[in-house]
Amino acid sequence: MSRKGTLAGYLAERWRGIGLSLVIVVATIWLGATGQLGLYIHPRYFIFTTVMAVVGLVFVVASFVFRTPSAGESEPSGRRSAGRRTWALGGSALLLAIATVTVLALPPATLTSATATQREVNSGGLDSEAAAEEAAALVGTGDYERLSVKEWVSLLAQSEDPALYADKTASITGFVLPDAADPDNVFYAARFVVTCCAVDAQPIGVAVYQPGWQASYDTDDWVQVTGTFVSNPSARSADTLAVLPTTIEPVDQPSDPYVY
Amino acid sequence: MRRVPTGLILGVVLVAAAFALRAVSPAFAGWGVPDRVQDTITLALSVIIESAPFVFLGILLSTVVQVWLPHGFITRFLPRQPVLRRACISLLGMFFPVCECGNVPLARGFMVGGFTVPESITFLLAAPILNPITIITTHQAFGWGDGILITRIVAGFVIANVIGWLFSRHPDPDSLLTRTFSASCARPDAPVSNGGHDGGLHEGHTHPHGSRPGRIERSVDLFTGETAVIMPALFIGSLIAALVQVFVPRSVLLALGSNPVWSVLAMIALAFIVAVCSNVDAFFVLSFGSTFMPGGIAAFLTFGAMIDVKMLALMRTTFTTRTLVQITALVALMSAAAGLLVNYVA
Repeated sequence: MSRKGTLAGYLAERWRGIGLSLVIVVATIWLGATGQLGLYIHPRYFIFTTVMAVVGLVFVVASFVFRTPSAGESEPSGRRSAGRRTWALGGSALLLAIATVTVLALPPATLTSATATQREVNSGGLDSEAAAEEAAALVGTGDYERLSVKEWVSLLAQSEDPALYADKTASITGFVLPDAADPDNVFYAARFVVTCCAVDAQPIGVAVYQPGWQASYDTDDWVQVTGTFVSNPSARSADTLAVLPTTIEPVDQPSDPYVY
Repeated sequence: MRRVPTGLILGVVLVAAAFALRAVSPAFAGWGVPDRVQDTITLALSVIIESAPFVFLGILLSTVVQVWLPHGFITRFLPRQPVLRRACISLLGMFFPVCECGNVPLARGFMVGGFTVPESITFLLAAPILNPITIITTHQAFGWGDGILITRIVAGFVIANVIGWLFSRHPDPDSLLTRTFSASCARPDAPVSNGGHDGGLHEGHTHPHGSRPGRIERSVDLFTGETAVIMPALFIGSLIAALVQVFVPRSVLLALGSNPVWSVLAMIALAFIVAVCSNVDAFFVLSFGSTFMPGGIAAFLTFGAMIDVKMLALMRTTFTTRTLVQITALVALMSAAAGLLVNYVA
């Protein structure tokens, strides 16, 4: 076997794991240090994930210190051809390059409406009983403007009687997600509920009736909607109630865009 | 193994370069990645960040088993009778609650440490369910209601042991493994790893000067070899899971929730594509409790803990495709049976 092929195989098979580990532990530690881990995982994992990333970093550096014999120092004894080893190196290098660009070079980002539209708003994501209890506790204080999207969605799931909400002002922060049934007149002030990590995120949202909203806002814009609940004037929307907004203020994306 | 002082410098420089790249990444915000591509990256990265710590933990435990404990330390406490032995192995997750991703390197280490292939499969399938964290979180989510928790525990135990028994009847269990991993296991006194097992360069079990490396060196060596196998699988598996998430509307599955049979099949499909960690999948699926029948929930919790798109990628590092197809089909059939039992009987 050629020395070139042996070296290629060695690099591909020996260091691809270290390279990928380096990328992910550095990304994890950075996200943890800058308070952005919440873009990807539930807060209950922050400490464990960060600690294991640090442990992984120690092993990554140690892998450079306790180095096994290099290609030229070891007897080639494999069955693979030099060609296959070169291909393996190419594949590993490509994977590592993609990982470096997507994990380290691209800025961290939250999920967008593209995912929300794949997951049907308010079709899951809330432990309705627990969330309703939390909401009921806040309702008891009479401070309805403190209720978040999650609590309003829980309350609406319990009852859609307009009379119950007639005297209550909602102030909700979420991203703009068009109502698929009536996108011209209704959008959701939406958030994602995360149980474990972003992959299980479920979109929830409160319907907002605002004909022509597209003239002022784009999908995925973050807004704070203030208004009262009314019977949804939209004939096509599936939501019985909607917020009739008095104000819709553009706001920055919250540092923790998901709800739990 | 030879100590190379420049290795430390090289390692630190690379780590610093990675941090520097991360630090300047906001400058690339204007690249204008399309939403679907961006979401695919976010979803894949979330699975990787969620799973990598468990993979590292699994590798560390595997290292303890292979390097720091005497050879055969765990197997000496197990019964010799195969059925009883596998039954005990299926409960080992009580002591190694590392989630399914971490169980792959651990199971590989167990095989090197003396487990047979069917015993390792039994462990791999049972441990994600029969471990204290999974049981506690499932109880927190569902209590004892609708028989979901008890179904999950019993089905997890039964499925793992039945499949272990079936594969124990195989005339050549080693043929269930990939050739590279099988060769790795065959090397005497060799910690499992990838780098040299199919040729080329050995893993450093022999020092250049003929002496055996120390335990620390062997541990680092094992970490290097295992990450070389597991991390590419994790990255690729996570990317596939993310692509499926972005391009397969979940509403297709949710529409099937109220039918006793379809709810089970739909939840098995959902479990396969969502690839959520078994330690917390109960909280995730709890939110579908009002949409799906209890049997669907039970099938989700049973099947998803054992098999999903990401796990298949990880398991492919060790088992042949044919073996994985057989395991997946068996787990799906038995999980579906458990779910239907709950829907029609419980």
